[in-house]
Amino acid sequence: MSPITIHAENLSKTYQVPEREGGFGAAVQSFFKRKYNDVKAVQQVNFEIEQGEVVGFLGPNGAGKTTTLKMLSGLLHPTEGTANVLGFTPWELKPEYLRSMTLVMGQRNRLSWDIPAADSFLLNQAIYRLPDDEYKETYKELDELLELEPLMKKPVRNLSLGERMKCEIAAGLLHRPKVLFLDEPTIGLDITGQARIREFLREYNKRTGATILLTSHYMADVTALCERIIIIHHGQLKYDGGIADLSRKIAPFKLIGVRLAEVDSHDLTKYGTPVQNEEDWEKQYIQVKAEDVTRVTSGLLADLPIHDITITDPPIEDVIERAFNE
Amino acid sequence: MFLIFQRLWQVNWAEQWQYRANLIMYLLYWLVSPIIYLAVWTSIASSKGDVNGFTVNDFVTYYMVLLIADQITSNIVIFTMGYKIQDGTLSGELIRPIHPMLTNALVNNIAFKALTITGLIPVWIVLFFLFKPDFSTVTLTGILLSIPVMICAFFINYLISASITSIAFWTTRVYSINEFYWALILLFSGQFVPLSLMPKVIQEIAQYLPFQLLMYFPIQVILGNLSRPQIIQGYVMAGIWLLLALALFNWVWRNGVRRFSAVGA
Repeated sequence: MSPITIHAENLSKTYQVPEREGGFGAAVQSFFKRKYNDVKAVQQVNFEIEQGEVVGFLGPNGAGKTTTLKMLSGLLHPTEGTANVLGFTPWELKPEYLRSMTLVMGQRNRLSWDIPAADSFLLNQAIYRLPDDEYKETYKELDELLELEPLMKKPVRNLSLGERMKCEIAAGLLHRPKVLFLDEPTIGLDITGQARIREFLREYNKRTGATILLTSHYMADVTALCERIIIIHHGQLKYDGGIADLSRKIAPFKLIGVRLAEVDSHDLTKYGTPVQNEEDWEKQYIQVKAEDVTRVTSGLLADLPIHDITITDPPIEDVIERAFNE
Repeated sequence: MFLIFQRLWQVNWAEQWQYRANLIMYLLYWLVSPIIYLAVWTSIASSKGDVNGFTVNDFVTYYMVLLIADQITSNIVIFTMGYKIQDGTLSGELIRPIHPMLTNALVNNIAFKALTITGLIPVWIVLFFLFKPDFSTVTLTGILLSIPVMICAFFINYLISASITSIAFWTTRVYSINEFYWALILLFSGQFVPLSLMPKVIQEIAQYLPFQLLMYFPIQVILGNLSRPQIIQGYVMAGIWLLLALALFNWVWRNGVRRFSAVGA
């Protein structure tokens, strides 16, 4: 058994969120007396992660994933509970701790917007006190895996979303951190981009033995990278274990999307449970049990004037929402 | 550590060049009021002969040195860091193993100054030929003595400004607090009017405040208007205020970061 790298015990975070109704009266009132609402973002979360593990951290929006990552990386003080990462208490923000971990969150973290990424990289080399040869070697590896070189000389603001993400991840890894906290590392990337980042993370983990905790919206990220997943929902830990066990739990569902030849929508409730898909207004979606897919599909094709039909796994958020609300 | 500052300089210098137009606007904004005071006071002095012993040349030399002192001792940390605290982008800098305010933001300000001072040079030369000031009282000793004070004053002002900026950890009203601070500077630094023309009471108070170190004191040192004990007193005040400003900043920053991490960014 490898040593424990990340340890969280009763980790809890309650935000106080000011609350007020709209309108002038309420605005005046809130000037004198503010009402606060306690929002329990994370409640009594316990887990341990061993060195070299790649763990997927899942949950719907607002589940507390980012809050937990922020606590583990040191940006947030917990309201209750403790955490220990690499022997440090994260929120003390000790320089030795900051030099041995990385947090990749969003796209405007480590790179200066107005100048080429190459300059920001050199700055990071100095900040993390990396000797020239070590820096060059790491850069070469990162370049091999992410194809950075063509992006290095353009101002970051002129890079595309995916290019920026690649540079951001590379900038966060120049100092060869032992622990990686990645919040949605593939967000906004196309399929190739996602695959490349995944491949890269797997390789990095293999080469350096780094511990990786990542959140993602994409089930594929998680299935490709993580053997273990932690699910958190409404701030509470709902599942911690192998991915195989969970997929047995979630496998029963598939999403069928149909685009009909006629504009007016048909009632699809008799085929399965209708679901909203905000990213795709053209199609109507229904959720059906996996074993019914063939039967329902042929039924749909026979009954309705169908232009286009897709069968997909439900998005991870829906799966979790469903798995734990039932 | 040296390498960090060197690389920070490269990055910030390059960044400042990206905003040339912005820089020129800042410079104009910064130069307009002293030049107006210069014009107003010289025209008053020339119509009356002098103002309480201040001749036209006294005003011209005073304000022309003030333009330089003001550029050296001022900063814009409130504009470069305030919003980062408010919108949470500070997070990215907090998890780097260097102090956000005392490294990156500091170098950013110095890069900014290097450029605005360069921009000041042609303006200054034009003013020189316009007003033809008599700088005969200026000595090399005076100039050399003023430099450490101005550097010290820059840091005092920077640390106080950084403390005010850090109030953004608690409230979004930092800009109005900063306006108030700048009003104090305007009044007590000798920018609005040379301090020796102020009522006695204000002069008494001003000599114990940090603001006169930003402009009035170094100007008078350069112009050779101060006695040795007055210069020593100014140096002592600069030392004391530097320590106080450092302590203030440390306290505000530490508590601010704790609050930042308590409420979430």
